[in-house]
Amino acid sequence: MSDILLRIENLRISFGKDDRRVAAVNGVSLEVGSGEVVGLVGESGSGKSLTCRSVIRLLPPGGEMTANRVLFEGVDVQSLDRDALRAHRAHNVGMIFQDPFSCLDPTKRIGEQIAETLRVNVGLDREAAKVQALSLLEDVGISSPERRYLAYPHELSGGMRQRVMIAIAVATKPKLLIADEATTALDVTTQAQILDLIVRLRREIGMSVLLVSHDFGVIAQVCDRVAVMYGGYVVEFGPVADICNRPQHPYTRALLDSIPTIESAGQRIRRDGIPGQPPSLGEIEQGCPFVNRCSYASDACRTLELSMREVGPGHTSACPVTIGSGS
Amino acid sequence: MNASPDTLPLLRVTQAVKQFVLRRTLGDRVARRPGVLHTAVDHVSFELGSGEVLGLAGGSGSGKTTLARMLIRLVEPDDGQIMFGDSDVRAASGHALREIRRQMQMVFQDPYSSLNPRMRIGAAIFEAGKVHHQPGVDDEAAFVARVLDLVRLPASAARRFPQELSGGQRQRVAIARALAVGPKVLIADEAVSALDVSIQTQLLNLFLDLRDELGLSIIFVAHQLSVIAEVADRVAIMHEGKIVEIGPTAEVFHRPQHDYTRSLLAAHPSHTAPTPRGGSV
Amino acid sequence: MSDTFTTTSRTTRFRFRIRNWELSLGVAMLGIIVIAGLFAPLLAPYPPNQIDILHSLQAPSFSHLMGTDFVGRDVFSRVLYGVRIDVFVVALITYAGLVIGVIIGTVAGYFGGWLDAIIGRVTDTVVSFPFIVLVLAVVAIVGPGLKGVAIGIVLVGWALYSRLARSEMLAMREQPFMLATRALGYSTPRAIFRHALPNLVRSSLVYSTVDVVVNMLVLAGMSYLGLGQQAPGADLGSIIASGQGYLLTAWWITTIPGTVLVLFGIGVSMIGDGLTRGELSMATV
Repeated sequence: MSDILLRIENLRISFGKDDRRVAAVNGVSLEVGSGEVVGLVGESGSGKSLTCRSVIRLLPPGGEMTANRVLFEGVDVQSLDRDALRAHRAHNVGMIFQDPFSCLDPTKRIGEQIAETLRVNVGLDREAAKVQALSLLEDVGISSPERRYLAYPHELSGGMRQRVMIAIAVATKPKLLIADEATTALDVTTQAQILDLIVRLRREIGMSVLLVSHDFGVIAQVCDRVAVMYGGYVVEFGPVADICNRPQHPYTRALLDSIPTIESAGQRIRRDGIPGQPPSLGEIEQGCPFVNRCSYASDACRTLELSMREVGPGHTSACPVTIGSGS
Repeated sequence: MNASPDTLPLLRVTQAVKQFVLRRTLGDRVARRPGVLHTAVDHVSFELGSGEVLGLAGGSGSGKTTLARMLIRLVEPDDGQIMFGDSDVRAASGHALREIRRQMQMVFQDPYSSLNPRMRIGAAIFEAGKVHHQPGVDDEAAFVARVLDLVRLPASAARRFPQELSGGQRQRVAIARALAVGPKVLIADEAVSALDVSIQTQLLNLFLDLRDELGLSIIFVAHQLSVIAEVADRVAIMHEGKIVEIGPTAEVFHRPQHDYTRSLLAAHPSHTAPTPRGGSV
Repeated sequence: MSDTFTTTSRTTRFRFRIRNWELSLGVAMLGIIVIAGLFAPLLAPYPPNQIDILHSLQAPSFSHLMGTDFVGRDVFSRVLYGVRIDVFVVALITYAGLVIGVIIGTVAGYFGGWLDAIIGRVTDTVVSFPFIVLVLAVVAIVGPGLKGVAIGIVLVGWALYSRLARSEMLAMREQPFMLATRALGYSTPRAIFRHALPNLVRSSLVYSTVDVVVNMLVLAGMSYLGLGQQAPGADLGSIIASGQGYLLTAWWITTIPGTVLVLFGIGVSMIGDGLTRGELSMATV
């Protein structure tokens, strides 16, 4: 990774009034190299969506973020004033979400919605915007773009709508694309197409991708590096192959072990799974968030100050326990 | 645990059809034409043995949920035959239909909305048992505790409202409510799809435990092939309203015969063989 | 962001208890008026219809808190009794309409088909009919008096609740928990009355706070026109009407009951706002 596009250091996001503040993200550090695809994987409430929203400082109401630094191309996003933040959101970062239907204006033709982005954010005139929008539609793999340009969102399938969302997100040629569970609602075949599209655009535009997903399979298919999140912490970070093949954090390991696979079809294996459930917001105030479900846990884990330690080249884990290699 | 050939299958579906009217113009009405139809379930046949787990897989719009709902007439079949034991599901009405529904219980995808938000867990479970005069309902607390125990929830959960529970716990409650009426078949319609992986595993094990302990047959509808791969004895792959392939799970997944099955399997993202599609920098 | 909040949403049920000032103030205002009406026989210093010609048209004073009217009746006592009868009648007719309407609408929405079509057309007809004209027609048949007005209002009032409940039921019918009642083999009455109704009645209750005010005004208006409460009985409308001729010399006869009417309206509306806000905060968490 030659240069770093995004570096987040010690990000904390919390909700609630002064005396009852609860932390949803707890000192997350992360980096995305230029041209790199980084995955954020974790279960509900792990803080993965919040973490990626901090990149454009778009938090849900009541959310407050602090961080040592959120550097995007060397500029701290936290220091941007209103205009600079708008420009940052418009030009540097494109974002796609799980539900493309609710992100599109149901009363406007999809072509016009893409053209609007181009007019407002790139400053093209009406004619040029239309031409550019048509070529974007073609880029994202929508056949007969002239006809689709006139379609309304409800006339398209889920996969098509996600393609439109991607067209809007990459219209300004952003340096970073954030895909937040962008393929979760789609069929596997459509999902595979959308993932292929994201990867292709990443190459063509030369952008980086931050891919948020709860599905380790998706992450493994497209990411270079992956950060595993749990209870508001990044518990493990490293190259995707290392994480999948040699998970070092007990949570990552248990999670990978609970994922059913096609290969084991018909073998009637029963996976152990992870006992209990993820901590709720504010439930764990100190120590390791995984302590109550962890088979390696000791009393020390309850008071532990979480810090990442190197467990392999470019591979860090938040757990002091060294577990045997391979599963 | 496959249905042995000499015993009668518990459930036999023959050539079941369901069509939905997409558009019916005034002209169609006058001419008594059916209008533009969408065939959601297209001449589907299969059997379910006692104690068997049948997986029903397919993409969205493949008709798997419609088919599942037809089995207990939440959706009215248009044609074909559905035999549950020796009772004809399509012909049943009134008490007979309710009895069929009692024996074939459904668990829905969304544990957040499949429970009445204004009813305590205990009341919901007890109501189900009481309506169908299940043994033991004269002692409400004991009945509820026993059913909750089947789904590994503490008796204290009875006092809670659904909103106070997590997604996984709610789905357990939904299963408990289904078990309270003493069914022979559970139809799990995407019952674990909305849950996190670690919780999903717990629920899958619960389903398998229930099959072993109570001898339940389970129809497991899911879009996640890997989930079906690990719980189902047999699997049926649906595509555009038809079952394109049906057979023992290992057979179908390791030696798929139909092109659609192959394409589904090829598209399935796997974490065991990380192959970055883009190729690293 | 829903995934971040699934764990915190466990307490939403109690969110409703959080006080908002509209609700508190509304309850306080309405409470005073209702309690005053309820205890009218104890609170009223004079019998409401006691004539005292010698002390007619007296301005408010310590012996007559709200003054006296043209035949010397104590306005304060009459207002208390007026509130008593009006609040009782309004509550009765509004909630009779609500119960009838919600049941009809829920049933129509649940079953759909021709039943729904028929009920739908009937409600449309009733809703589109001029409200006052219909009430007047009923009064013409039954004869002047609160009874006629009350029957007229109920006859019209149920229709909006029916519409509201029907549209909620249509949405709720497809909710998995309603589907589950069928899957569980529950009887239809159980599904409708035990599972659907408790969940859809709230919006009707919120709407009823608007309806109560409207009905109060219609009732007062009818009495004002002489079609409602008949002399010498007191209700707010008839008291106002009786003071009409003395507006310039004895303002208190019309103004004070008018103010009570306004305060009643504001109080009820504030309760409605408070309830809606409570509902919103539940919906957004």
